[in-house]
Order: sequence, then C-alpha cells, then structure tokens
Amino acid sequence: MKENEQNFDELKKLLQLKRHEIPPPGYFNNFSDKVVARIKAAEADHSGPAYDRLQSHAPWLARFIAMFEAKPSVIAGFATGLCLLLVLSVVLTEKAENATLSLSANMQNPMPQGMAMASLDTQILADGGGGIQVSTNPVSLQPVANLFGQQNPLLQPASFAH
Amino acid sequence: MISMSEPAIVPDPNAPSGMLEADLVKHARRGDLPAYDELVRRYQQRIYSTIYHMTANHEDANDLAQEAFIKAYSALKSFKGGSTFYTWLYRIAVNKTINFLKQRKNKYHLSLNDIDFNAEHDPDMMALVSHKTPNREVGLNELQKKLNEALVKLSEPHRLVVVLHDVQGQSHEEIAEIMECNVGTVRSRLFYARQQLQGYLAEYLKS
Repeated sequence: MKENEQNFDELKKLLQLKRHEIPPPGYFNNFSDKVVARIKAAEADHSGPAYDRLQSHAPWLARFIAMFEAKPSVIAGFATGLCLLLVLSVVLTEKAENATLSLSANMQNPMPQGMAMASLDTQILADGGGGIQVSTNPVSLQPVANLFGQQNPLLQPASFAH
Repeated sequence: MISMSEPAIVPDPNAPSGMLEADLVKHARRGDLPAYDELVRRYQQRIYSTIYHMTANHEDANDLAQEAFIKAYSALKSFKGGSTFYTWLYRIAVNKTINFLKQRKNKYHLSLNDIDFNAEHDPDMMALVSHKTPNREVGLNELQKKLNEALVKLSEPHRLVVVLHDVQGQSHEEIAEIMECNVGTVRSRLFYARQQLQGYLAEYLKS
C-alpha cells in the first residue's frame, strides 16, 4: 500500500493544480443574493419547483420519480412492463368472457324451449296467412355440414310449409 | 485628558453572521431568509468548487450550485440533523451534479476558470511543468486542460472521490458520509481512479 501511495505522489501534485482554478475575485459577491431572490420568486408565485414540494410532502413518491431521472433504460423497462400488464389484462378479460359465454350456452343446451316456441309462432303465422309459406330460417341458420359429418344439434330447421 | 477611543465592534450574536450553524439552520427552517443567506455565504465557495471540479465548466457549476442551495432550502423540513448541515448540503449538491452529468453524458464542454497567479509560484507546479516534461513546451494552461480532460474520462463516483480527496483535501470518512457508502469503498474507488488517471496522464508523469 505504501508503495502505491508513493507511486501516486506525482499524480497528487498534478491534481493540486486544480486548487489554483478559482473564479475571479468578486465572483461570489452576488451569489447568495441570487439564490435568495430565486427562493423568494418561487415562494411569491407559489409555483416553486413541484418536485421539491413533492419531496417535502411525499418523499417516497419523490424517490420513486428520482429513480427515473436520467435513466432511459429504467423508463423503457417500466413502460414495457406497463404495456405487458395491459395486454395481459385484455387477454385475461377476453378469456374470462369466453368462459362465461360457453358456460351459459351449456346451460341452455339441454332445453331447446326457445326454439320450440319459435316453431309454434311460425306455425300460427302460417295458418293465419292463407297459404303463405313462411320460413324463419335465414340462410345462415341452415344446417351446415361440419367437418366431422355431424349436424350441429343447436341448428335445427324451422321451416314449415303447407 | 481623557482620550476618546472608538468603541470596539462586538459581533452581535443575534445577527446571522454571528450565529452557529445549528442556530442558522433552525432559523432557516422557520423561513428566516437572512439566516439561510448566511448559510449560503458560508458554503457557496466549497459547494461551487466541488461542482466545478466535477463538471469542468464554471457556468454549469454556478447554475448547479444555485439549484443545490434552492433545493436544500425547500427540503430543510426533511433535514433530520443526523449529519451536519454541511454534509447534508454536500450530498444534495453531489446528487444534483451526478444526475446532471448523466444527462449530459459525452457532451463535455470545458469552460475552465483561469489558474490563479499563485500557481506560477508554486514550486511543485513549476517542477511539473518544466522538469517533468522537458521536451514539451507544456504551459500551465495546457496542463490544466489535459488534467480536466483526464478527469472527465472517469466515471462520476470515481471522479467525485478524487475531487473530494486529492483536490479538496477531505478525509475518507467525510467522503464516505457524503457518498453514503463505507470507507473501504471510498479507498478502493480512490485507488482505481488514481490508477486510471495515471494511465491517462502518463506522458506528464514520467520521471
């Protein structure tokens, strides 16, 4: 350690040159006046540095904000995290909605009462219509041959012709 | 015959200039601006110098020093007195400077204070200029520029340790308190920083 100290002697002498770098005489004459004037101005319009006020009222929040000061990587990381959180919440919400829909669909499946009622209505209309053929089957509700060769049990024809 | 001598000027203990630091801080916390003005006067030069040696730019040093004092005033209520006001103020100034330097990364513009007249009469300095670099016409100003260029190559924590210890003469313990780290860290940073500087300034340090 002693050897190292000796090795740095020249460097230390060179660094002492910095002590001679001083501002011209009178440089600090108005320094404190400027500081006090700025403090007064900030107090006068009551819009002093918001950050400073934040620090006195909520130091934890000020420390949190300070984490981001001059750290683009932290800002980017935080923003990315927020975006991921947003995307994740959207995906989860959609999944939850789908699950609810399929659950309610399953509950309606075993009782095609609505469809029976619709059939009854169309029959009444047809009877009173004087031979008019009425069909409540829109094209999209036609039985579709699915890939597995089975008909969709939910889609039943509701066409009644005289 | 009675001679009338002028009354000796006794400093008023109630005037800010005669107050102790702790009393000034107490008054300043209550919003007493003359008391804070006195605190600024007491520490302005040291705070400015530290920031100046960190930034190598006197306009930046002036701005940052003012901002540090303003911030310290607005944060006085949070000053618990765990350390001296001076150390606490130093910490604010140092943090402000480090944040500024991070934002200004790689955009250094040296705007150096002139070297004072005493430097030309400092035997150590003249020895460095004339004896160590006999084949180069190195003047004090060139040496100053090279030295500052070497310093700004150091990382902020390393530069700060060198400035506080080797330039401003603060102890390891004081630096540890300002930088909120242990003395061992200060010592190792100082050693590393000196090694780096020795490499950067090799041609001026040849024996």
